[in-house]
Amino acid sequence: MRSPALAFAWEFGQKLRLGLIALAIYALGVVMTMLFRIKMGWPVSLGHDEDMAALVAVPVATTFLYFLGVFTFGFASDLTARESTYPARMFALPVSTRALTGWPMLYGTAAMMALLLLSTSFVRWETKGILGRFVLEPWGFDVPALWPALLAAVFLAWTQALTWMPYGLRGLRVIVAVLWLGTLDVIVFLAIHYEIPEHFMVAFLAPQLPLAYLAARFAVARARRGEVPDWRGMFARFGSSAGVLRRRDPFPSPKRAQVWFEWRLHGWSLPALVALVLPFELGLLFLARDEPPAMTFYTLLAVLLTPPLMAGFVAAMVSKSNPSARDSYGLPPFTATRPLTSAALIAAKLKVTVWSTLAAWLLVLVVTPLALALSDTLPVVIAKVNEGIETFGSARIVVTMLLSLVALMASTWKRLVHSLFLDLSGREWLIKSSVLLALSVLVIIWPLGAWIHDDDNVQAALLDALPLALAVLVCVKICAAFWIATRLYDGRLVSDRTLVSGAFCWLVAVLALYGLLVWFWSTPHVARYFLLLIAILEIPLARLSAAPLALAWNRHR
Amino acid sequence: MSDSVINVSELTRRFGAKTALASVSLSLSRGGVYGLVGLNGAGKTTFIRHVLGLLRAESGSVRVFGKDPVADPVAVLSRIGYLSEENDLPGWMRVDELIRYSRSFYPAWDDAYAEELRQTFALDPTAKIKTLSKGQKARAGLLIALSYRPELLVLDEPSSGLDPIVRKDILGAVIRTIADEGRTVLFSSHLLDEVEQVADHVTMIHQGRIVLSAPLSEIRESHRVEGRVLSLDEIFVARVGAAAGSVPEA
Repeated sequence: MRSPALAFAWEFGQKLRLGLIALAIYALGVVMTMLFRIKMGWPVSLGHDEDMAALVAVPVATTFLYFLGVFTFGFASDLTARESTYPARMFALPVSTRALTGWPMLYGTAAMMALLLLSTSFVRWETKGILGRFVLEPWGFDVPALWPALLAAVFLAWTQALTWMPYGLRGLRVIVAVLWLGTLDVIVFLAIHYEIPEHFMVAFLAPQLPLAYLAARFAVARARRGEVPDWRGMFARFGSSAGVLRRRDPFPSPKRAQVWFEWRLHGWSLPALVALVLPFELGLLFLARDEPPAMTFYTLLAVLLTPPLMAGFVAAMVSKSNPSARDSYGLPPFTATRPLTSAALIAAKLKVTVWSTLAAWLLVLVVTPLALALSDTLPVVIAKVNEGIETFGSARIVVTMLLSLVALMASTWKRLVHSLFLDLSGREWLIKSSVLLALSVLVIIWPLGAWIHDDDNVQAALLDALPLALAVLVCVKICAAFWIATRLYDGRLVSDRTLVSGAFCWLVAVLALYGLLVWFWSTPHVARYFLLLIAILEIPLARLSAAPLALAWNRHR
Repeated sequence: MSDSVINVSELTRRFGAKTALASVSLSLSRGGVYGLVGLNGAGKTTFIRHVLGLLRAESGSVRVFGKDPVADPVAVLSRIGYLSEENDLPGWMRVDELIRYSRSFYPAWDDAYAEELRQTFALDPTAKIKTLSKGQKARAGLLIALSYRPELLVLDEPSSGLDPIVRKDILGAVIRTIADEGRTVLFSSHLLDEVEQVADHVTMIHQGRIVLSAPLSEIRESHRVEGRVLSLDEIFVARVGAAAGSVPEA
């Protein structure tokens, strides 16, 4: 490796390797499924928006975010810090600031443009009947050829410039980046809305690449010289006032101290992520007021699904409990040597996930009605609710809405805790294998879904086998829970009382859910035992109770 | 009540093909300063991690205050003060937050002593841990390890993070004070001259095996050449010799 360009390429190649392999497996899976269907003489229909969303938008969006993380060096940095997120180790390399800035930006631009150009080419694809007698119905979507790719490159370039810039205040980077990139997004939304011609968009976006490069070069040059502006003095008076208000009294118990620790460590992540995303989603309501009511409801659906979706990201973020250490997945000695039982450490985590879920939902429940009122879309929602009340009665509608809300909140919490037993195991191979497994499931889920959707015989066979499949899953869950309870008891990881009360609470929750399901689906078409199986599967048991076991395995290696 | 603070018997630990500890047996009595010396990778940290219950004994047994640190971590860890070589204090905490958080775990926490140590170590209570220098972080770690006057203080390579002033004066003074109060100190180091200054008892470990374990005075007595008492690093070289390939810093 004799040039800085090759060295940068090698470093990014190493970081992108896993993601690109996953993407290649996904693409291969899709192509193989298509070829298989064509060989079997089944039509391959790709003409629906939903297909496009599932097949292209999800992997492209995931890869886009992955590229953002890799090319900004964002995965290993503290975005809220005042200092530049550009790796300090690279400042000592014998290369110019131009090279330090230019190569990551050039590779990032190339990767982003390649990703988006390939994706737009794919959805624009219009060849028919290319494989002999078998008809392949392509999408042929009329999407612009160049500017989406250019937009992605510009978005990355500005993100690089804004994250590499040193700031005078902690957290200012996030605010500046959200405002700047949000403005860019709004301009693009307006361009789509008003169907601005492509050449105008190219003319608007293209000059931003060199501008972003100049900003990034300035940022890296400052960071390299160790220049970090300090504006904290401006807020010193405010800070000292806040210091008076800050709690200084001792924690009443070690468990409360640990809850405080966990909250400061991870608790705010979900509310903060939701707070970041929500303004953009709710901003769409202002565009939706001139559109059909469906647009308002799609936006509301997106808003309501945001906390569970973000909870998935937050759960993934916490798997590295000690990012700076050699064994980044292992429990840090500082935590491992707390004189607390493993069960108490887990209890603190669980309490914080509950508070975190409530905080995120409080935000959604406060801000969404405000946005609906301000955007004049509230009447649309009220009309829909009234329509429902007239059809089903007010009690059923109110209870349905409340239950949906509780279900969404429970789903958010479940997503925060469902992978704790893996994340807390501290075994890198286990965590990475589970990620690979999840990606593999994502790869096959679309073709599998399409296969089931298109074939009535398969649907009938699956419906017949569904109760048996659920029963098997219930057996697996109960057996796993029994094995885990035995291990918890043998290892004295939790007290007998905790085990019994945990089992009792689980039983009560299952029965309550079963009662609700019976009330909701009071129809002879759905068997009661089927609802009971669903209730048993839905209430967390095995994976949650495995968390103390996983932590003890990690703590005492 | 047994006088033994740590009792390790036939402890063996392997990491893959590498044997980190091979049938190690060691007993530490109450009220002494025990130095654990050896080259990097000799097994010092692995031994200490077993004492803290961070590693489970594959074979053999580990008892601290007569208890298994894996089976009963609360009873053991609440009596141990620990300063890690990694010094993994949470960077997002401020010094005063670290003190407030840590004190809640130890009923015997002494606020006055903690404040005295904070002033001695010149730690700004409003400073974030991540903004502290390596030496200051080590001082903060030492502060929270000492403030509840633990019965057993475990220091894993403490000198590697401390600046010379703290290393020579404060650490030495602290260790001697603890020993004089009848408490026990176990510290690992590859800086043999420092071990020689403060330890009552020295254990040399090499490639997972104890090559020498005895009171320092006995070691000195038994290692004389032409009437001259050998220094600890000369003794170390004599014991470990060519097998080591290199000598710890003196």
